[in-house]
Amino acid sequence: MSTTNWVSRAGFGLMSLPARVIEPVMSGVQRLIGIKRMPWFFLIPNLTAVMLFALLPVLINVFYSLTGSDRLYPQDRPWVGGRNYETLFDCTNYLDPSTCSRDLFWRALGNTLTFVPIQVVCMIGIALITALCLNREIRGRGFFRGVFFFPVMLSPVVVALTWQWILQRNGALNGIFSAIGLNPVNWLVFPNTAFFWSVFVTVWAHMGFYTIILLAGLQAIPRDVYEAAKMDSASNWRVFTKITLPLLRPVLLVVFILSMIRSVQTFDELYILTGGGPGSATMLMVQYIYEIGFAIQPRNFGLAAAASLLLGAALLVFTAIQLHLSRRAQNG
Amino acid sequence: MAKLVLEKVAKSFGLVNVLPGVDLDIEDGEFVVFVGPSGCGKSTLLRLIAGLEDVSSGDILIDGDSVTHVPAADRGVAMVFQSYALYPHMTVRQNLSFGLENIRMQRPEIERRVGEAARLLQIEQLLERRPKELSGGQRQRVAIGRAITRDPKIFLFDEPLSNLDAELRVLMRIEITRLHERLGNTMIYVTHDQIEAMTMADKIVVLRGGVIEQVGAPLELYNQPRNAFVAGFIGSPRMNFVEGTIGEVSGETFTFTSPDLPAMTLPRRTASLAAGQKVSVGVRPEDLIVSKGKGSGWPVTVSVAEQHGANSYIHCSRPNGEPLLIHQPGQSAVERGDILNVSPVPARWHLFDASGLRIEIEPGQEMAPPILHTAIQ
Repeated sequence: MSTTNWVSRAGFGLMSLPARVIEPVMSGVQRLIGIKRMPWFFLIPNLTAVMLFALLPVLINVFYSLTGSDRLYPQDRPWVGGRNYETLFDCTNYLDPSTCSRDLFWRALGNTLTFVPIQVVCMIGIALITALCLNREIRGRGFFRGVFFFPVMLSPVVVALTWQWILQRNGALNGIFSAIGLNPVNWLVFPNTAFFWSVFVTVWAHMGFYTIILLAGLQAIPRDVYEAAKMDSASNWRVFTKITLPLLRPVLLVVFILSMIRSVQTFDELYILTGGGPGSATMLMVQYIYEIGFAIQPRNFGLAAAASLLLGAALLVFTAIQLHLSRRAQNG
Repeated sequence: MAKLVLEKVAKSFGLVNVLPGVDLDIEDGEFVVFVGPSGCGKSTLLRLIAGLEDVSSGDILIDGDSVTHVPAADRGVAMVFQSYALYPHMTVRQNLSFGLENIRMQRPEIERRVGEAARLLQIEQLLERRPKELSGGQRQRVAIGRAITRDPKIFLFDEPLSNLDAELRVLMRIEITRLHERLGNTMIYVTHDQIEAMTMADKIVVLRGGVIEQVGAPLELYNQPRNAFVAGFIGSPRMNFVEGTIGEVSGETFTFTSPDLPAMTLPRRTASLAAGQKVSVGVRPEDLIVSKGKGSGWPVTVSVAEQHGANSYIHCSRPNGEPLLIHQPGQSAVERGDILNVSPVPARWHLFDASGLRIEIEPGQEMAPPILHTAIQ
């Protein structure tokens, strides 16, 4: 036998070994459950991971939200039914958090309801403008694409610490202010400025990611369509509103949902940058859940679980509405 | 009136000189086809006329006015793109009216124009559909309709039929020709398909490497190609070329010799022939006299006989293996391996010099009218 033959036979043997083992197993499974259920069989590995790391924690969360005490193990936790939810909603006037038994929850909710729309609108607006600029034939386009994406690669802790150094009393920004003769400002001490910088820093940190998605969406719009619009006497504004935006809508929807979910989840940057302060001015929902469940003694897992489930439900409903509206508009 | 004049129009992309300098006159109402192989610059030339690309130098004049620096939308031209370039999110009606809304035309006038274009192209029932709900042919009509509503001086078509299947292409070819007859506008049509060029054009512009090789009516190009490139490009199937040298030149005749073929005496139709001159004889597949067995012509062996029913295409090889194609009307009795004797129909052959230029025929010695019946004798 020649060397080539030996090698090829050995290769063939090795290649076919898994097939020889798997084939009878697969045939057996198929006989057992029927061909129609075979897709489920192939989905088992993925479904297992989803069950273990997504569905199971949700169910455990539901259990924790319906039980009380500061004990961690399920068998030690007494059943309290909907009492945690009742505690969260125990308010005399929902518009005035100080009348609520859990005023911090309502303050965090109010902050989140203010932060998310502002941050998402700023994020998408700036990401879209950046993507539109980067989609043009400009000098150093590759460099700028890298520059805008760079913050996305940074750890949230690094982002927060960097901006803290810039914004603190003796930070870089106040250094510049002093150099040009302006009075230094305690940026993170006043509620309004702290809120502004919270939005600014989170937009700065994540904008690059959405810019790249929008840029890919812009590049997928055929050049011919723009040329046809040019022949059709369309002004730049008409091209943007009548061609670019409608054709970018599916991508914008993805960006909107992703950025909204990410915005609601905001925690790490702000926890390090402002700690939720001053007072509770920049405390968002996830930080409240963390504080109530892990930081403040005694730890109230039940209340934290209830708050996180409410947050999840709100996100789910909002995303579903958004998807529905978008599909209706697309088919309409 | 829409007369288009190109004066030394040149275009470079970086260091690549795509069009070195084109001079061309297109008369009002003409249907002109730019034809040439891929990369010859025909689409670039069209885009320069449209205003989608800036010229590097030269001037473009429409009705005597320079439009070289006029924006695309203000040139009075409309373009039908190869990919149709319909707005996918708009209905057909919106596609047709978008350009008119952009110039703030009154709504009743928009409705009138859209309705008229839809009627002309028989797409009235499609007006509320979106492009994705249309077939290729319907999309093509909408793309043409969009151009019509703008009532342009000049229509530009950039390979508009290349995405359609063969049958639809023939239908649309006829429709566009009819449309030209009805509208009477100047139309410029780019294609690499010489059949489209031959069947649709009033005037064909053959391009190669950004240079115009010849401009003329379809049959003028077919019967009097200026060089071997045009001779080979115009006509399907393409012209046969036999390279060789001029042998003996006498008063009325000359001999043509090719290394693998017996010498052939041909009538002399020009004074500019010298013994030893390298030339090639070009003969169209339908201009060959064919006989079976031995004869005084060139012996060729049949390799494939394509029977199309109404026509036969006999692919032969010369003794040196070079191909030679014979076109015969009707059905042929030849079979693979048969030896045929071929010779050009008198006065239906072309002579090109070593550089590929046609050796001009002297007055009174013009090409004979085409002879279609070359059945095996």
